Amino acid sequence: MTTLRPFTCDDLFKFNNVNFDPLTETYGLSFYTQYLAKWPEYFQLAESPSGHIMGYIMGKVEGHMDNWHGHVTALTVSPDYRRLGLAALLMNFLEDISEKKRAYFVDLFVRKSNKVAINMYTNLGYIIYRTILEYYSGDQDEDAYDMRKALSRDVSKKSVIPYTQPVRLEDIDMN
Amino acid sequence: MAHQQQGMDSALFERRLRPVYDNLEVGNNRKALQESEKLLRKHPNLLCARALKGLSLLRLGRYEESHGCLQTVAEEKPVDDSTLQVLSFCYREMEQLDKIVELYQHAVKQTPGNEELLAHLFVSHVRVEDYKAQQAVALQLYKAQPKNAYYFWAVISVVFQGIRGPESAIPEKRKLYLALAQRMVDKHIKEGKLETEQEAFLYLHILKLQSKYQEAWEFLTGELCAKLYPGAPVSMKFELLKVLGNWQELNELLQKLLEADRDRWDYYKEYIQSCFELLDGQAAEGADKPAYMLNTCHDFLLHIIDSSERKTRGPYLARLELHQRMRAKQLPAEELIGDFDELIIEYFCLFGDKSCCTHDIALFLPSISIEQRQSLASKLLQESGITSTSLPQNKEHMQKHICALQISRMCGAHIELPVDHLLAFYTALKLHYEHGHSSFGKQLLATEMGPSDPYALLAANVMYDISVREQKSDQLFEALCLLQYVLRNSTSNFHVKLLSLKIYHMFGCMLGAQEMYDYLDIKQIQLDSMGYVHCNLLPLSGRFSGVRNCFDTTLKFFTNSYKERLEYIALTYRFCTFSKMGEFMNFKERLTNSLLYVAVSVEAQLCDLVSCYGNIQQNLSAYVAMSIEPADDRIAWHELSDNRDLQAIIRWDPLHLDNTDAERKESYDQEIEVLQLRSLLLRLFATFIDLYHAPPSAKLAMSNAKTPPPAPGEDTATLELLRESWTGLHQRLRLMNYKPLSQRFLVNLLPTRLHLLLELPYERFFDDLAQMVLDMHSGASQLTLQCKRVSENVASVMDVCVQTITENNECNAVDGLWKRREHQQKIAACLEILSLYAFLLSVLNDKLQFNAKTKTKKKPSGDNKAQDTPLPISEKERSQMLRELMRQLKHKLEACDAAIRTWKAPTLPRDLSSFMADMSLKPEVEATLIGDVSATFKESHELMVTELRNLIKDKIRMIGK
Repeated sequence: MTTLRPFTCDDLFKFNNVNFDPLTETYGLSFYTQYLAKWPEYFQLAESPSGHIMGYIMGKVEGHMDNWHGHVTALTVSPDYRRLGLAALLMNFLEDISEKKRAYFVDLFVRKSNKVAINMYTNLGYIIYRTILEYYSGDQDEDAYDMRKALSRDVSKKSVIPYTQPVRLEDIDMN
Repeated sequence: MAHQQQGMDSALFERRLRPVYDNLEVGNNRKALQESEKLLRKHPNLLCARALKGLSLLRLGRYEESHGCLQTVAEEKPVDDSTLQVLSFCYREMEQLDKIVELYQHAVKQTPGNEELLAHLFVSHVRVEDYKAQQAVALQLYKAQPKNAYYFWAVISVVFQGIRGPESAIPEKRKLYLALAQRMVDKHIKEGKLETEQEAFLYLHILKLQSKYQEAWEFLTGELCAKLYPGAPVSMKFELLKVLGNWQELNELLQKLLEADRDRWDYYKEYIQSCFELLDGQAAEGADKPAYMLNTCHDFLLHIIDSSERKTRGPYLARLELHQRMRAKQLPAEELIGDFDELIIEYFCLFGDKSCCTHDIALFLPSISIEQRQSLASKLLQESGITSTSLPQNKEHMQKHICALQISRMCGAHIELPVDHLLAFYTALKLHYEHGHSSFGKQLLATEMGPSDPYALLAANVMYDISVREQKSDQLFEALCLLQYVLRNSTSNFHVKLLSLKIYHMFGCMLGAQEMYDYLDIKQIQLDSMGYVHCNLLPLSGRFSGVRNCFDTTLKFFTNSYKERLEYIALTYRFCTFSKMGEFMNFKERLTNSLLYVAVSVEAQLCDLVSCYGNIQQNLSAYVAMSIEPADDRIAWHELSDNRDLQAIIRWDPLHLDNTDAERKESYDQEIEVLQLRSLLLRLFATFIDLYHAPPSAKLAMSNAKTPPPAPGEDTATLELLRESWTGLHQRLRLMNYKPLSQRFLVNLLPTRLHLLLELPYERFFDDLAQMVLDMHSGASQLTLQCKRVSENVASVMDVCVQTITENNECNAVDGLWKRREHQQKIAACLEILSLYAFLLSVLNDKLQFNAKTKTKKKPSGDNKAQDTPLPISEKERSQMLRELMRQLKHKLEACDAAIRTWKAPTLPRDLSSFMADMSLKPEVEATLIGDVSATFKESHELMVTELRNLIKDKIRMIGK
């Protein structure tokens, strides 16, 4: 049971019960404000009937020509509101907006070790498009999967023909 | 002169400027200065190099030179982008935003119609929120380059004049501006030039601001909007249909939406409202339409329930909501929907295995009586199927049990149990935790919370209840050990960390608190919203320099955000995000006026004054660098903002006793009063110093150079004024008679420092000190008497310190923790008072000695005064009195030190090694766990004692010479 609404600046003061989750990063303000200023409709929040923040999705739309696509930058659900299909709801929302913006596909990056998330994205129709080597830096660098799902505009499903070789971040054109 | 450069090779200059930029970037400001000077020797007229020199000087803190340097560059009226950029950067840094406006105004005048310069000019107006000027520049821009963005910059600037600008308070003006903005967009639409969704949004917004809802509805549902703004949120439709009173259409729209999206609370809420509106409306409309009945609503919800393959919470919660609202209107809810308890139980059976079930059910508890809540709670417990002799069979079963227990607490089922029952309950919870952990919690990922952790959280709350009732710490200490044990199993459970943090603070264990705080990895904006759990509790907690780190991290976030605050808003213009502009402006206000920001700034300054340890010159220059300016109250008291996220800490306290809103308000009011006291203390103290050590002009140069140097006589005026405010404030606060914050539940906020500050002799001490400082300055005859008064105050502060330590040592025999925090705070406050006093004496002494050296031959000034005033006490005598005060303080500080040496580490409650005997812990785990917690307390005490003793040592040295 959810209210979906645009994420607002004030929510930044209230999202702690979501952001204390170890897999959720709290970014610098400029990161959030950039997303809010540039892609306001891509930053949505799920609120519970009691007014708690259940989770949110943060994304953008970018790219040229047939690379025009939606991108999921962050997706997070508070531990109290898991196993309710909330992530799917938020993903649907982002796909829907991307459809309306005539994007060809939606993509996202996920830690290779994050089995739970990969599984969920697969169930939502995403495929592993390619592996990006050492995408996540940290004590131990980690590879990312670049996962994709084609939207209706990509009739020939060209955007989801997987790469066979892993790539490095510096080798790919992010646009 | 600016034109002189144009013929030169700009690429060459860029290359030459590079080293200056590079050095600035890495913070090597000295080198940057050298490089810029080197370049200027060859090209003295290179404006950008001069601007960069100004920036380097600014960064080096050489404000006066920097100011002069930048001024001369600005006078040249530069037009080249790089010079302008550097200058505006400097002005931004110095918060002289109006100068950026001037800068670009000059530049635009010299190259009219230059798009880039105009855009910069526009943004410079955005920074100072001058909407009128924004409008003018935007129109110039549109004339130079007919881009939609510029046109709509003008439109939004007109809108802001109507709703935010200085004239927005005048209804006619507001109307005029909004009508103008609408006409501007209407014209654009007519010409077929509307292009983006944000433009469409803005048009809708303008219509709504004028209450032209019908027009807004037509536009929203029209062709153009569908084309430009396909993602327009459906909530806009709800909003408009509601204000238009078109409930029938809203009702139908929502039914359609709910058929497709069956778990949307926002839809159900609006849907149910529309049903009630239809019901209410028919009385007015007469009987020619078929009567609306709530049966339709109920039938629709049942239809959703029956036709859904997957059970979602939505329609069930909606049914409960309908029930609740019908009861509120005295409508026969039970007749239509059924028994409330049955409905809740049904909900519990279906969704009790989800952790959100507690929050869901809690929504509906306030609508029933306490008796009904308690009977419902016991029904749920029964329904969970767990008795004192049975254990959950699987994870889901366990979650149901947890939910029922949480609800029971919320219903007040535990709160009145006798202590022995509560203890038995605690033991049961502990065993359930352990059982759940070993049965269902073994193969967790490091990022997951243990499924049985909520038992332990509940157990900690129960133990707190017992502790409060008994006014003893042992049960709560046991709970702390339990939480620390849970944390080892479930390293990512932030609830456990937050509760442990709270308990460590309650027990005055700063080290443990710091560990938990670090473990939470609080950063960025969380430093503001979560600062209340730690940072705000640090002042006067028992340490001074030891807490500076946490202040610094917090302040660094705020200062950076403050610097960036206007750039965020500029960004919304860049992307033409009209829907977010107002929001961003409000956010800026909220962030820059955060109470925590202001409070921590003041505390950090006080903390620095208390703990300064250099020689007198070093201390004074540190003081000057603070640029306190006592005459000027820089706190915008009416705009302060409460940014605390109090909901981050989970609680299941009885709903009828827990009033979070009231708690928020009370604590916030008190925190503001504390800030009043602290900021006034700081300013008053600063006037003492300033009287003897007049602020250098550099301090004034930074403050916009508008304040003229104080006229003679004005130097004591500020002091006297603030002293009056000081006693007046205390008087008011005593009359206000604030109650200490309720400590009924574990999650409640700790008491503010208000009562501590009023209880300790702050008021008298600094009031008498003010008189002494004045008399010492003028040499008034009552100085001897005043010195005596001050030394009596010093003695009594020392007494409080020594007595508190004695009392704490005595408490230790009974309960080492319960009053620990309170005692530590008192001792810290005493040492704060004495340390500030020591610093002041060192400054006075320095001044009088300096005077003695330079002015020995001069007559004391003041011969122009009236004849009958007695002669002032000679400086030599004053010097002697001062030395006597210093000698006395040294003696008292030594007494404090002697007492602190006898201060015992807290004794920890009872037989620690047995409290977990009933859990299946391995002995070695148990031993290390308790060992670690105990060691943290011991180490925390030792660190504090070492730090306080060093502080005293520094002060003795400071006044010893």
